[in-house]
Amino acid sequence: MNRLKELISDLQDFYILSFRGVLNIFKRPFYLKDTIEQMDYAGAGSFFIILIVSLFVGMALSLQLSAELSRLGMKVYTGKVVGISVIRELGPVVAALVFTGRVGAGMASELGLMVLGHQVDTLRVFGVDPVKKLVTPRIVSSIIMLPALTIIGDAVSLFGGYYIAVFVSNQSGTLYWSSIREELIFENVFSGAIKPFVFGYLIACICCYTGLSTKGGATGLRQSTTKAVVMSIIMIIVSDFVLTRILLYVLGFSV
Amino acid sequence: MIVFDMVCFSYGSRQVIKDLNFSINSDERVAILGGSGEGKTTILKLIMGLIKPDSGKIIIDGEDITGKTENELREVRMKFSLVFQEGALFDSLNVKENVAFCLREYTKMTEDEIDRKVRELLRTVGVEHAMEFMPEELSGGMHRRVSIARSLAAYEPMMFLYDEPTSGLDPVNAENICKLILELSKDGKGFIIVTHKVVDALRVASRFMFLKDGELVFDGDSEKLLHSDIPDIQVFLSELHYAGVKNV
Repeated sequence: MNRLKELISDLQDFYILSFRGVLNIFKRPFYLKDTIEQMDYAGAGSFFIILIVSLFVGMALSLQLSAELSRLGMKVYTGKVVGISVIRELGPVVAALVFTGRVGAGMASELGLMVLGHQVDTLRVFGVDPVKKLVTPRIVSSIIMLPALTIIGDAVSLFGGYYIAVFVSNQSGTLYWSSIREELIFENVFSGAIKPFVFGYLIACICCYTGLSTKGGATGLRQSTTKAVVMSIIMIIVSDFVLTRILLYVLGFSV
Repeated sequence: MIVFDMVCFSYGSRQVIKDLNFSINSDERVAILGGSGEGKTTILKLIMGLIKPDSGKIIIDGEDITGKTENELREVRMKFSLVFQEGALFDSLNVKENVAFCLREYTKMTEDEIDRKVRELLRTVGVEHAMEFMPEELSGGMHRRVSIARSLAAYEPMMFLYDEPTSGLDPVNAENICKLILELSKDGKGFIIVTHKVVDALRVASRFMFLKDGELVFDGDSEKLLHSDIPDIQVFLSELHYAGVKNV
């Protein structure tokens, strides 16, 4: 019973933090400097990791599809399938997972350490709202930087797919790019572009919440960081499914 | 004036404060003694409204603060200057920015004015030379000093609250911090110091409280403390013999 009460109380606190974190965007003071610092850490800091991961994901996907499609005599569709997979599904999810591992874990451990070192209490003593000062800049930076990183990651994945299709699978580069261009329609781009905003928001809220609820010493910090990453990954996958279902319905795709 | 009226507080199922009653005037120099986990720091957090009691009332200057919201508590918190154990400096900011934190947050001072004020505060606590240092470059004693300077930056507190200000410090640094604590209360401002180091408590305080299992088992002056027959207090006082303190 106590465990259930605790869970409900945790969920309630999480929703309040998520709501206040967004509401504070429109309230003074704006903490622009903190937001820019967070954007630099989340965006510029994750840039090369996203490049490498996306490149290899695109190459692996193209390799798998070329092998399977050539067996069926449909190798010409490699570009089309790579395009749809990357733009609609893989690009946003891969970028979000990388973002969780690097930025989300960092948020949780940094805030956790601030809690344990009484820095969060110090903010409260000085009359500064910790949600406004610490959570809101992280939410804003995640909402802005994850979509940007996803777009870059998508482009690099498509390029990786192109390299394999043309130089390994001996397909026509022109055909590959024209297939990709055909898939760059509003429905595909929209369903791929909307997801990173949701993922960014979820990652920031989950990681900030678990970081700020850190208790105990080093073990508590380890637990909260692990929890932040695990919960974020689960929520990314679950919300991806839910969003895909909704978007397919809204955009008029039949399943 | 701070009044605790039948205050109880628990961390989960562990009760750390049991029916605590006391009152402290804002000009008193109080030391709260007790072992680790006896609820000493919890008392400071309760006074600042950082945690809420399970039951009982905490009255600051005639106002019950137990039901106040975070915004309402801001005014109460500005009456005190709390220095956390080990300083709690913001580790992403250098010493200057740590001290300037409240000035930037609450005042419209220019960069020059902030610089002057920060220098003045750091000079008061004796660490002006460390202005550009990052917190990880500071020694334990410097940490506490910068933290004290930071707490003085934005407003004039009515009372100082020190959480284990000398723990982990060598005797020279501990004595310097004690001197600073006395220096800052020269103009009649009181303080509450939470510590388990009876030598330091006797150096600075005139009233002593002793906590055992979340209950107040002693409240009196140094004379009464030194002649107390409470076994736990006698164990604490044995530190004086090891330290070779004859006159306190």
